[in-house]
Amino acid sequence: MRELVTVFGSASPTASNQSGDFRLSSPVAYSSFTYIRVPQGLKLKVWAKRLSGTAGFTLLIQYTGDVTAPSPTWVTIDAEHLAGAGSLELEKRRPVAVLGVTGKEAVKLSYANTTGAGTIYVSAEVELTDEE
Amino acid sequence: MQQDRFAREGDYITLYIPARGTALVFRVRAVSRFSIDYGPLPIPAGLTLPTYDGTSATVPAYGVLPGRALVPQGITFPSVIPNVYDGSDMWYVPEDYRDRLFHVVQRVTPSWLRIDVQVPSGVVQSRFQKDRGMGGVDRAFGYTRGAIETIHIPKVHYGFRYGNDSNIDAVTFVRFEYAEYTVDVPANPELIFDILTRRVPSLWFTLPIFIPDPSVESALEVTYGAFGFPLYRADERVRALEEYRRVLDRILSKYAGGG
Repeated sequence: MRELVTVFGSASPTASNQSGDFRLSSPVAYSSFTYIRVPQGLKLKVWAKRLSGTAGFTLLIQYTGDVTAPSPTWVTIDAEHLAGAGSLELEKRRPVAVLGVTGKEAVKLSYANTTGAGTIYVSAEVELTDEE
Repeated sequence: MQQDRFAREGDYITLYIPARGTALVFRVRAVSRFSIDYGPLPIPAGLTLPTYDGTSATVPAYGVLPGRALVPQGITFPSVIPNVYDGSDMWYVPEDYRDRLFHVVQRVTPSWLRIDVQVPSGVVQSRFQKDRGMGGVDRAFGYTRGAIETIHIPKVHYGFRYGNDSNIDAVTFVRFEYAEYTVDVPANPELIFDILTRRVPSLWFTLPIFIPDPSVESALEVTYGAFGFPLYRADERVRALEEYRRVLDRILSKYAGGG
């Protein structure tokens, strides 16, 4: 099985708050979420990313091995930088992939290093699959 | 629609019943094959469901399976087609539909959802090492993801369960790809034997009936007059043919209008 879904979100960083997590939505999700938990035995792949906004920022794809921990440890496994106001579209032949070994793994999209106040946007093509 | 999954006119279908070690054999006389874009899973808003974390979750809107939640009791599909036999279960037909089989592939979006089937509804059929371990959407095994294939026999309600082991409140959708077979039973015990010893090609399908259940056995008896043909080794031809003649008499009397 494979399910390819678009997730998207926006944030409005300020001078005093230049980093944070995107709150994400998706047509397949009834309510918004900040991370995607990878079901056991499945693989999460991030195939494409789109960054845009009135300010530059760094998109961080972060991973934790146990999202059920009281304070999950998030590790950055990919980063893309939008230098300034504008847009950036990135599609990789090889995706960022995370395997659901225990079913507690999760991935989230965060932002950092914003270059100013404004609204920033992100969307990503995320696949959950049991195939290679 | 996947084309080669279903039987074609003139094919034989063998439905193996593990709980009994028997098989029903049919010849396909006609095939009517379509898809139904059903819509969301029939999960009502406000329903409280257990979760994989030991808590509970409330269904926020019709057809939404909350993150980490599972449907613990098998559900049937209310019909989207008028005038079906049972409006609360569109795949259910009574025993006088013994000349029909419904071969159904249920595809569920998002496809990471776990699915299992209870036959009859309420009876979990996934097992490991005989009866030592029970599977299903609430266990570590005994489910599929995204799609499940069943062949429905008359007079039995099949119940489907679902699980969402991600955290996303999933907006669901179901598509049925199905074939309605018009079938009869081959009247020749030698042909039955050749099919069951795999000398004659047949579409074999193992019904998910691993645990004997009185209502399923009653349905088989009422519908077909028998639990099916016992399987014999290739060198037990004489013994098998004797038994098959007796079973065929009962089955064919049903097809001849014997109730």
